[in-house]
Amino acid sequence: MLLQDFRLGSLLAEASEHEISFWGLFMYFLLVLAILVVILSMAKKSFGEKVFKKWPAQLFEQAYLFVEKLCLSTIGPHGRKYVPFIMTLWLVIFVGNSVALFMASSPTEDLSFNLGMALIAVGYAQWEGMRTNGVLGHLGHFAGPKLATFADPKTWLFFLITILLFCIEIISELMKNVSLSLRLFGNIDGGHKAVEAMNNITSGALIPLGAFLMPIKILTVIVQALIFCLLSCVYLGMVTSHASDDHAHGETAPAH
Amino acid sequence: MNHLGIGIAILGVGIGLGLIGLGAMQGMARQPEAMSKLQINMLIALAFVELQGLLAFFVLPIMVK
Repeated sequence: MLLQDFRLGSLLAEASEHEISFWGLFMYFLLVLAILVVILSMAKKSFGEKVFKKWPAQLFEQAYLFVEKLCLSTIGPHGRKYVPFIMTLWLVIFVGNSVALFMASSPTEDLSFNLGMALIAVGYAQWEGMRTNGVLGHLGHFAGPKLATFADPKTWLFFLITILLFCIEIISELMKNVSLSLRLFGNIDGGHKAVEAMNNITSGALIPLGAFLMPIKILTVIVQALIFCLLSCVYLGMVTSHASDDHAHGETAPAH
Repeated sequence: MNHLGIGIAILGVGIGLGLIGLGAMQGMARQPEAMSKLQINMLIALAFVELQGLLAFFVLPIMVK
């Protein structure tokens, strides 16, 4: 009961009527995990074969190739290291969104779950940035280019600009969590609201008009899973490029 | 009045999304081999513009009472 009161999703309780309790969210997440475990264990059976002939293994091979290409093209040549992380995010979000197509609610329709995933993605990007550039180097990323030179009489002005940039970058780093979570929540919850509104139009004639929104909802499911992973890749790529060859990375990365 | 504000916000977002789609379509028509790169960048831009609409739809009704 207490956990329910502290849920971040209840902040938006006035805006959204799709409120599920903490344990309801837990059960939906268990459903997502069960689907993933069943399909993955089916795919694991054909690991020893030379050619994948059964559909689960073929499906996950294609999904893996897709995510690997995404990582390599967005992060750069060292992006293969982050494939497991991005793949996990992609699978959970995609299956969670697919559950939302057929059921009343889903894990990704809850803001607290999405905020948890966004915190993991952005926090992992910070950790990787600190591992690549060192703690001071990572914090120096936020301060922008080196403007202050002590020979200049206007050093204090550049110093002020650097401090201002640092504050703005920290705020934008925090806003990344909000934007990642709110985008996923808004798209999935908005889809449900649109279906309800369209059902209400023709509820007198007993025609489920909302069912005709299915194609655009399927598109939303795929695109939102892609966008979450893509933005996680972009955030990872921004902080893990080395400071010395920053420009070289930016120009050679798209060629891969 | 709240609903009118949301409508105006969504109008702007719609125009922005349309402009992104226009740019991407023109780029793809002129250079079909760059399609995959254009699609990825288009999706990133779409996500950033779309967020404004979502903010207007979900956060504005709470802030403005």
